[in-house]
Amino acid sequence: MWVAAIHFDWHLFFQRIFHPDHAFARALWTTVYIAVAAQVIGVVLGLVAAFMRTSRFLPLRVLSGAYVLVFRGTPVIVQIFFVYFGANLFLGFNLFPRTVSLGPLTIPGAAFAGIVALGINEGAYMREIIRAGIDSIDRGQLEAARSLGMTSRLATRRIVLPQAARVIVPPLGNEFNSMLKTTSLLAFIGVYELFQDADIHYSTTFKPAEYFAAVACWYLLLTTGWSLIQAWIERRLSVSDRADRLSFWERVAEAWAPAQVWARGR
Amino acid sequence: MSATNGRSAAGELALHALDVRKRFGRLEVLKGVSLEVPRGETVCVIGPSGSGKSTFLRCINHLEKIDSGRIEVNGHLIGYRERKGGLAEDSERSIARQRAEIGLVFQRFNLFPHMTALGNVIEAPVRVRKTRREDAVKEAEELLARVGLADKRDVYPGKLSGGQQQRVAIARALAMKPSLLLFDEPTSALDPEMIGEVLQVMKELALEGMTMIVVTHEMSFAREAAVRMAMMDDGRIIEEGPPQHFFDAPEHERTKLFLSKIL
Repeated sequence: MWVAAIHFDWHLFFQRIFHPDHAFARALWTTVYIAVAAQVIGVVLGLVAAFMRTSRFLPLRVLSGAYVLVFRGTPVIVQIFFVYFGANLFLGFNLFPRTVSLGPLTIPGAAFAGIVALGINEGAYMREIIRAGIDSIDRGQLEAARSLGMTSRLATRRIVLPQAARVIVPPLGNEFNSMLKTTSLLAFIGVYELFQDADIHYSTTFKPAEYFAAVACWYLLLTTGWSLIQAWIERRLSVSDRADRLSFWERVAEAWAPAQVWARGR
Repeated sequence: MSATNGRSAAGELALHALDVRKRFGRLEVLKGVSLEVPRGETVCVIGPSGSGKSTFLRCINHLEKIDSGRIEVNGHLIGYRERKGGLAEDSERSIARQRAEIGLVFQRFNLFPHMTALGNVIEAPVRVRKTRREDAVKEAEELLARVGLADKRDVYPGKLSGGQQQRVAIARALAMKPSLLLFDEPTSALDPEMIGEVLQVMKELALEGMTMIVVTHEMSFAREAAVRMAMMDDGRIIEEGPPQHFFDAPEHERTKLFLSKIL
C-alpha cells in the first residue's frame, strides 16, 4: 500500500490543481457549460411536463407519465448513447454535426448531444421535484387568487410558482450538484471535459492516481462553489421573515455534509 | 317569491339564487337553495356544520360548480352561459371577470405569504384590473388605514396576528371594489381576543352599505349588522327573517334547537 504512496507524484498533483494547462481550462469550461445548459433544459422540460401532468387533455398526461417512467427508469449512459448514436444506428445518418454554433459559442457536436441527453434525462427528475413543489402549496392560495379574479395562468405565475420555488430550489440545487459530476459520463462519447482530460493524461503517462485525484479535487471545488451559490439563492428566496430563517452560513452548513456535523457541535 | 316578476326585481338584487343544487359524489350538499339579497343588505347565514353554508357561498363565486339551478349576481348569471335552453359553463376568462366583482373572505385568511400586507392588497388591482401601480398603492394604503393596519403595510403575513391577517384579507377583497362581499366564517379560526377587531371592521362595512353575505356563528354581529338572517339545515334554507324576529320568535323547530345551543 505505502509503496504506492511513495510513488505518488505530489508535484504533478499540485501542478494539476494550481497550474492547470490550457487544455485543462478548456475541459473545465466544457464541464461547466454542459452542466448549466443541461440543467436549464431540464428545468424547462420539467416545468412543461409538470403542467402537462395536470392537463385536461389525456394524451398529454400520458406523455408526461411515460416520459418520467422511461427516463428515470433507464441508465443515463444508455440515454446518452442513444441520443448521440441513435440516429446513425436506426436511420443511417448523423444527427449531430462535428460542431454546432450557438450564437457566439461554437461547441463540438458530441458536447451538444451530451447537453441534449443530460437535459432530457434531468427533465424527468425535475418534473417530480416541481410537481412536489406545486403540490405543497395550500389549495386555499389558488382559491384566494381565483376569488380575486385571477385566471389560473396568472395565479400559477404570481402566486403558486413563487411559493413553490422555495420548496423546489433545495432539491434543484442537489440536482445541479449531481449534474456537475454526471457530465463526466460524456467522456464516453468523446467530449473533452474534465474526466476525459484526466483519462487522456493517464493513458499517455500511466500516472492514474495523480491525474484522477487532481480531477476529483476539481469536481469537489465545483460542487463546493455551487453549494455556496445555492445557499445564497435560498437565503434570497426566504425573504418573508419566517421564524425558521437560516443564516447564510447555516445554509452552507446544511448543504455541505461534513460542515453540518461541525455546525451542530457549536 | 319575486321570481315571478323577474327582471325589475333582479335589477335591484345583488344576489338572486334559485333552486341551487350541488352534490359531491353521492352526497347531496345543496338540495335546492334559493336566496335573494337586495343591494346594500347584509345577510347572515347560520346553521350546523355540514349544512351546506360554505358550499353555497363558494358556489356564488363559482369556486364550486353547481349541478342545477341558477345564481345571478347583479342580474348576471354566474359561471354559466345560456345555450339552447340549457346552461353551459362559461369560459375561464369570463368567470374570472365575474369573480373580480365578488369579494370572498376565507376562514383561514389565505393571504399570500410571499407578499407584504401592501403587496397582498395591490396584487389583484395591478394584475387583474391593470390599475396603475401608484394609484393601487395609494388606495391600498387607504384601505389598510381603514382596517387599522396602516403601520403594517410592509409586514409579511407570517409576522401578523390572526386578527390582523384577516383584516388585511378584508382590505385585499375591498381593493377590487366588489359589489358583493362574501364572508366564510371569518372569525372561526381566530383566538377569542381577536374576534372583536375583525367584527368591528365588518360592522362598519355593513353600515356603509356594502352588500354582504356572512356565514357566521357570531350572534352579536348578526343582531347588530344583519338586515336578515337565514338558517340552513341539511342543504336547504329552512327559515329566513329579520334578526329580531329570528332570534326572539323562531318558527322552525330546528332553528329553535340550533339557537338554544349556540346562544
